[in-house]
Amino acid sequence: MRTDVTIPSPAHPAGASDMDAFIARATRFLEASATRRAVEHAVEWGAGPDRITYFGDDSHEVAAAKVEQARAWQKTRYEAGFGWITGPPEFGGLGLTPVHDLVYDGLEAQYDVPDTAVLSLIGLGMIGPTILAHGTEETRAHFLPRMYAGEVIACQLFSEPSAGSDLANVSTRAVRDGDDWVLNGQKVWTSVAQHAHVGLALCRTNPDQPKHKGITAFLVDMSAPGVEIRPLRQMSGGDEFNEVFLTDVRVPDARRLGDVDGGWRVALTTLMNERASVGSEGAGPAARAISLPFLTALLKANGRLDDPVARRRLAELYADQAATEYLNRQALNRLREGGQPGPEASVSKLMYAQNITRGTHFAAEVVGPRLLADTGQWGTFSWNELLLSTPALRILGGTEDIMKNILGERVLGLPKEPSTDATTPYRDLRTSGSQA
Amino acid sequence: MSGTSVEERDDLRRSVRELLARRCDDAARRVAIDSEQGHDPHLWAQLAELGATSLAIPDELSGAGYGAVEQAVVLEELGARLAPTPFFGTVVLAASALLASGDLEAQKRLLPGIAEGTTLAALAVVEADGIWKGKNFAARADQSDGSWRLTGEKTLVIDGAVADLLLVAADTDAGPTLFAVAEGPGVARTPLRTLDLTRRMATITLSGATGTPVGSIGAAGPILDAVLDRAMTALAAEQTGAARACLQASVAYARERVQFGRPIGSFQAVKHRCADMFTRVELAAAAADEAAHAADGDEDRAPFQVACAVAHTVCSESAMATAAENIHVHGGIGFTWEHSAHLYFRRAKASQLLFGGPAVHHERLLSRVGL
Repeated sequence: MRTDVTIPSPAHPAGASDMDAFIARATRFLEASATRRAVEHAVEWGAGPDRITYFGDDSHEVAAAKVEQARAWQKTRYEAGFGWITGPPEFGGLGLTPVHDLVYDGLEAQYDVPDTAVLSLIGLGMIGPTILAHGTEETRAHFLPRMYAGEVIACQLFSEPSAGSDLANVSTRAVRDGDDWVLNGQKVWTSVAQHAHVGLALCRTNPDQPKHKGITAFLVDMSAPGVEIRPLRQMSGGDEFNEVFLTDVRVPDARRLGDVDGGWRVALTTLMNERASVGSEGAGPAARAISLPFLTALLKANGRLDDPVARRRLAELYADQAATEYLNRQALNRLREGGQPGPEASVSKLMYAQNITRGTHFAAEVVGPRLLADTGQWGTFSWNELLLSTPALRILGGTEDIMKNILGERVLGLPKEPSTDATTPYRDLRTSGSQA
Repeated sequence: MSGTSVEERDDLRRSVRELLARRCDDAARRVAIDSEQGHDPHLWAQLAELGATSLAIPDELSGAGYGAVEQAVVLEELGARLAPTPFFGTVVLAASALLASGDLEAQKRLLPGIAEGTTLAALAVVEADGIWKGKNFAARADQSDGSWRLTGEKTLVIDGAVADLLLVAADTDAGPTLFAVAEGPGVARTPLRTLDLTRRMATITLSGATGTPVGSIGAAGPILDAVLDRAMTALAAEQTGAARACLQASVAYARERVQFGRPIGSFQAVKHRCADMFTRVELAAAAADEAAHAADGDEDRAPFQVACAVAHTVCSESAMATAAENIHVHGGIGFTWEHSAHLYFRRAKASQLLFGGPAVHHERLLSRVGL
């Protein structure tokens, strides 16, 4: 029971009123700069474009235009003070907490604004904070204001063919040569590399140390000689991510991030900033496609609304979706009231993948054989784009299996799997394809 | 909005948990299960003393004037311990029926005893077909000599054998009506063997028993609809508590049980099972929380009618899945009579089917969203 609202009590530190003011400010900005998204209660079947996208398979021209829209919106945010909510004021930030950031995301998700994932997901969300934590004054001053103003796009040169879930197993070599380092190797699954100006690369600098202790991080100019970006075509048809080949790429030592052989600490900062996007997943075409109004319209259009089997599955889907939505909203509200982020984000991600996957397979079953070929009939073949994206939801941003390890070990306190890979020199480790 | 702060509810939770730890450990629970009444009257008295029985009853009727949110705290703890108490039958089902009846006279007469823990009550709705419904009862009530006489058979009545007060749904010439029936001539009770050992049920056979109408004649339908929504909300909290207890038991066992030279919880097959249980528990907790706050009129929540149906579906599934997984994580020991794991399995299945089972929940949920 709240008995006194003027004197802050220990249970309610000053944060709560700051948060109210922040929410008011952010809402004023959004109201002035964007349109609030209308809540959709019923879907008119057959109206609008016949596309259900998750990953785009836009032409390169359309993709480039969307990048420009994203940069423009980021610039607008930055100028209004919301470009880097957690960042220090000297780099254009607001100096607020990650909770404010999450709260802002939750607010912005209620508005129709350009999708800024191309900038924010990797660059602003993960690499910016890493530069802030590990960069020299010069590096920070060079990159951070440009990145958060939407001018510089950053990508993450982390994964490799032999370093996926086991990221510390990177093999791309960096060898010192005068004031430069020379990089050779291959990176993979690199989102936005084709739009990026700079990439944060993890490289092996000491193979005689155990794998975590011989890595160094560099900021690589993506236009430097020897950087070759090859689009990787996804099973869903588009080519949003890439392979990046590094051949004798010279990086000045001034663009090294953190200590020599201290790159794992840098990588951990990046991974820790992989954002918990609680509550902002309700938007977008995929979420709309598996929403109750959309699936209801689908059933109605296909004469299946009275089919008990279809109804049963619809109810199961809806119950899980609604509960996931409750979970997200409650988590966001706890943050607004001064709480700390909990494991809800992991639960939310697992459920999100499951809800979209099950919803899409359900829709495919209702469409039936008409899913097989594009006959031009609205709302049939178009489900394929989403269907063919669903396997990625269980892989990207940390596979479901790794997520469950993290939940099991860090949240439930279960013991780690015993292993020797963290103590063996890197050069003696078994790699895929080598003999045991 | 709920009338208590998170801190106050944490205090309440701690009090109930401590009481249950003291009075309802595994041994005490077994004694209660094997006892004639099926529960420990001392525990019941202490729960009442703590105020647990009066939480959701308005203060003008001897209650504490709180709501579903506070009651959910107690239910979660009772569910976590599977404490055999008449709480669900008396404080949830019967008290909700009295409150929903709008019958102030009956409320003044009957609710204070429930709030104080001195009256055990049972709601007798279901008949031989096992279906929870609000009309077309085989049981009949007819007026003769100015008093109502009830005839018929009610079954699966939770706490029906020990209840001082029976609230019986019966058809009259003017439609389905709720009656208060006290112990007396024409009331026969037959305790039943139950799947759920921690929640007793009975068949009530009425042969000309005297009853007093609760609410208007012909008005049982809407009363029982309201009771169902409240009961699904309360059950969801109980199921969440039970699901969390199963998760905790599994995690504790996976940390201490060593096979192949290491704790089984270090194997991903077991670890991931626990992570999946955690996911289902968190989802259940969110759904139960939403329903409880919505029940108390919090406008920032989902509509109550939808939230309670979502909660019943999600929490039933969660409690069942975690109960089954808990046995599996424990292996052979989890399949023994001595281990408590089967009690959770029994409760989970019984709660899932109590109001009709998944097929019925699913249609109910769809009807709540206009389909």
